[in-house]
Amino acid sequence: MICAGIDIGAVNTAVVVLEGDRITGSRVLDSFEESLDPRQVTDLLLEKSGIRWEDVRAFVATGRGRNGCTFAQKTGSDVACQARGAYWLFPSARTIMNLGAEASRVVSLDQHGRVISFATNDKCAAGSGLFLDSMAHLMNLDVSEIGEFALKAGSAIEVSSRCAVFAESEVISHIHKGESRENILAGLHTAVADRIFELSCKLTFMPDLVLTGGVAKNIAVVKLIEKKLGTPALVPSNPGIVGALGAALIARSIRE
Amino acid sequence: MDIKLDLLRQNRHDMARLWKKETGGKVVGVFCCNVPEELIYAAGMLPVRLMGEKEEASEADLHFPSNCCPYVKRSFDQGLKHRYDYLDGIIVPNTCDMVRAMYGTWKMNLDIPFAYFLEVPQRISPRGIEFFRERILDFKGGLEEWSGCEITAKAIEDAIETYNLNRRLLQSAGRFRQDGLLSGVECQNMVISSMFMPKDEHNRLMGAFLEEAARRDTPPLGVRLLISASMLDNSDFIRLLEECGGSVVADDMPAGSRYFFYSVNHSSDPFFALAERYLVQVPCPRKMLPRDRFEFIKQVMEETGAEGAVIHNLKACDCHLYEYPYLKKMLQDLGLPVLFFRGEETEAEQETQRDDIEAFIEMIRG
Amino acid sequence: MAESTSAKKHLETTLLVPALRRKYYAESLSQTTGQKICWCSNGIPSEILDAFGINAVFVENYATVCASKRLSSGFCRAGERAGFSQDVCGYARILMGYLLGGTEAPEAPYGGLAKADFLVVNSYSCDSRMGWFATMQRTLNIPLYVLDAPYQPGGGCMDEANIVYTESQLLDFVTFLEGQTRSKLDREKLRAGIDLSRRSADIQTEIYEMRKAVPSPMSAGDAYTVVWPGMYMAGTKECDDFYARLRAEVNHRIVNKIGVVPEEKFRLLWSGLPFWYNMALLNYFEDFGGVVAIENAYFRSEKSFPPQHHDPIKDMAITSTIKRPYAGDLEQRLQLTLDIVKDYRIDGVILAYNPSCRLMYLLQPELKNALDCHGIPNVNIECDMADERTYSEGQIKTRLDAFIERMLVLRK
Ligand code: SF4
Ligand code: SF4
Repeated sequence: MICAGIDIGAVNTAVVVLEGDRITGSRVLDSFEESLDPRQVTDLLLEKSGIRWEDVRAFVATGRGRNGCTFAQKTGSDVACQARGAYWLFPSARTIMNLGAEASRVVSLDQHGRVISFATNDKCAAGSGLFLDSMAHLMNLDVSEIGEFALKAGSAIEVSSRCAVFAESEVISHIHKGESRENILAGLHTAVADRIFELSCKLTFMPDLVLTGGVAKNIAVVKLIEKKLGTPALVPSNPGIVGALGAALIARSIRE
Repeated sequence: MDIKLDLLRQNRHDMARLWKKETGGKVVGVFCCNVPEELIYAAGMLPVRLMGEKEEASEADLHFPSNCCPYVKRSFDQGLKHRYDYLDGIIVPNTCDMVRAMYGTWKMNLDIPFAYFLEVPQRISPRGIEFFRERILDFKGGLEEWSGCEITAKAIEDAIETYNLNRRLLQSAGRFRQDGLLSGVECQNMVISSMFMPKDEHNRLMGAFLEEAARRDTPPLGVRLLISASMLDNSDFIRLLEECGGSVVADDMPAGSRYFFYSVNHSSDPFFALAERYLVQVPCPRKMLPRDRFEFIKQVMEETGAEGAVIHNLKACDCHLYEYPYLKKMLQDLGLPVLFFRGEETEAEQETQRDDIEAFIEMIRG
Repeated sequence: MAESTSAKKHLETTLLVPALRRKYYAESLSQTTGQKICWCSNGIPSEILDAFGINAVFVENYATVCASKRLSSGFCRAGERAGFSQDVCGYARILMGYLLGGTEAPEAPYGGLAKADFLVVNSYSCDSRMGWFATMQRTLNIPLYVLDAPYQPGGGCMDEANIVYTESQLLDFVTFLEGQTRSKLDREKLRAGIDLSRRSADIQTEIYEMRKAVPSPMSAGDAYTVVWPGMYMAGTKECDDFYARLRAEVNHRIVNKIGVVPEEKFRLLWSGLPFWYNMALLNYFEDFGGVVAIENAYFRSEKSFPPQHHDPIKDMAITSTIKRPYAGDLEQRLQLTLDIVKDYRIDGVILAYNPSCRLMYLLQPELKNALDCHGIPNVNIECDMADERTYSEGQIKTRLDAFIERMLVLRK
């Protein structure tokens, strides 16, 4: 049986196709780069995987844009889908940190994968993927390389502002003072990790920890969170599709 | 009939103007749960609870800074936008920093013939009740002096009766929502409309409404929720909870149970009875009653079989924000999942809230 | 962030305060006489506590100490982690971070606070402190007393019911303290304490009066420090001596025309609380010939009332009812600020918007409107008095630079 899930975020769209217990196709698309709507992304992916629309038995949508998705039979919240996807990948998962472009959330699970509690960040941009993107931009780096840079720092600057706008002006003044990019980035990453850590303090932390969402690809963020929590983190090879995977799993369970 | 209840709030200014025209009486704006409205009613005036609208507080922004209570700011904004021009007076009790600040700002910026500041002790003690009784008497004197008419003992007694009846009717509504005869939205709309309609008229309306509701088929309830909020002066948030699959069966809110839970006792000294009701019984967090408040919440939670609790605090509302970590812990210790929002009640905010609410309800459903 | 954070002190006497402060915290930590320790809010009449021999620790002050040692981000973060919203008073977040932060919190200055036996808070200043103290009560599980009094918009009156209630609450407070200390109130001692603290308060009033002098003999940077003994050691001989000495020094400066800046070009009023983590900002104008000549927080312009009754409690009840300066009252604050501008020959006003201190913050825009209306130049800067993470050096300096320029142009 083929089922699919789509995660329509503010910045990225991810689709996962599931056949039985196997992920047969997945795709993450940056909606800033390519102007494709969710339907078109799905078209492309299905075509590439050689699957016809009518073969997809169930479709579930998640993400901020889920309610606008016309072809899904059902929607699931981000929390539920992240939990579902992460638990499927790592059954030992008890805490999931989903680090998305706009929002971050922390979810606690019991041993059956049921959500016991969760916390979402307060509308603040500092700590999100977009924040790191814009900081990378400010320093003329690609977002994929800033994590490595940060790890090479001799010492981290202190970013004291809570607000992304203020943090940006702090960074600019550090650049002017001639501070190295590495040290600035180390400071920024520490600030991001701190925010996520603060969010996780709202729940009782239990290992194992799974990191999902695009920011989980950033090695410095992962290392800093591991250090803060004193526990290793499990990171899926493609952390950006976990929500869509969870949605696909929910789709499968409606059909079962 | 839900629609009609919603319309009442929208039409509240027209209704008040009409009332004024028909009766020639005075309309008095009131803030918070501590003003014994009975006296205003007994003086033949119409007390209306001040409320705001979910629009840019473009006028009030010039008078209040950004990080302040959105409820008070928006109410004041309505005043500045001339929507409350029919008011003859305002009564402001000693509630919180924001309300105290608003008292001065309202007086300074809006032409208001009668502005009365009602002292309310911040600590509950026998001397405090005694003092509040004195202040209530002074308030009565103030109203009399202003209107030039005596407020008779009979009028006060009648007012208390009418108000108690209204409370009983609202209590029934509160019970109806537990059985699914009424939605949480309908129940809150009833409370809100009670806050600006003449009580006798509202009693008639409620009577008819409840009679009809009692005959309804009860649809299955959603996830049973308890809501604790600092101030929700409209039913949008409750509507959102119910749209996402919740059913609000119990509340701890100023525009909710705090308005109708306790009746004024029969007493040979009605001023003492009023002081007791408004000072002691209403479990408002500003009054340093942490234990009683938590007991109250625990009790409603158990009686109504709530499965989850939603806490909605307006930003910059210190009275509630300090309490939150402990309230949350108490509820969680009782095994109740808790969802917390600190917000400003804007349209945009509701969309982000929807995500969390859906996740919360899914979580409770398991 | 600024390189130097404490204000440059211009007066010799000011330099005595840090030692007094250190001694005060050290004494409460090291006392072995079985004195009770009470954590309390500003505004609690410490003379009563003194009369009982109770060691009062004013936690708001400790929060400013933490902030001035640049520890506020660490403590605030710890407080927020414990569940307290960023909206609530920065002082409270610091203290809750100190109490609940565990290993996450920074190391506490002065070796921390002496353990409290009970808590006392006043109800008539702000909401925050009541929520904060109720929270501490829950955390520490020790008794809390709320000293209540009417709010009295407009600043006070001869209202009999208000006096009766105020007195009843003071008496209740005494009963509470008698229970805590298992001793009786020594009314003689209280009387002496009240008289002494009124005397030092009057000296403070005199000093405020003297600060009208041009050039300004003492700026806000010193002033925010020298209020300390009056707030936390009121009614003691040490405090009285301190202000007598300060008065002498200010007088000496006036007689010899020693100003804060060599050539005074413009005079400023600081409205609101200072940024405790960056008091040097108060000196920022001095390089340009500007001086923050006066501040409206803690300001006093009137002498104390003569005793109204031989019984000290009744006396307190009456005097505080007749006159209750309340920072949250719009009319009073406007009048006070406009008077200051006139009396102190102020050229411009810095409006510090401290978002987490609602008491000061809520009225600032209306104050700004009034200043604009009277054509008094002003500039507003929004950042917290205690939480240094809200401070943005670049933004604030840009605003202040523009304002300084305007001041200099206007003076020409
Ligand atoms: S919601 Fe809070 S801040 Fe606003 S009026 Fe009510 S108690 Fe005051
Ligand atoms: S809110 Fe303001 S007045 Fe109240 S405790 Fe905090 S700083 Fe002091």
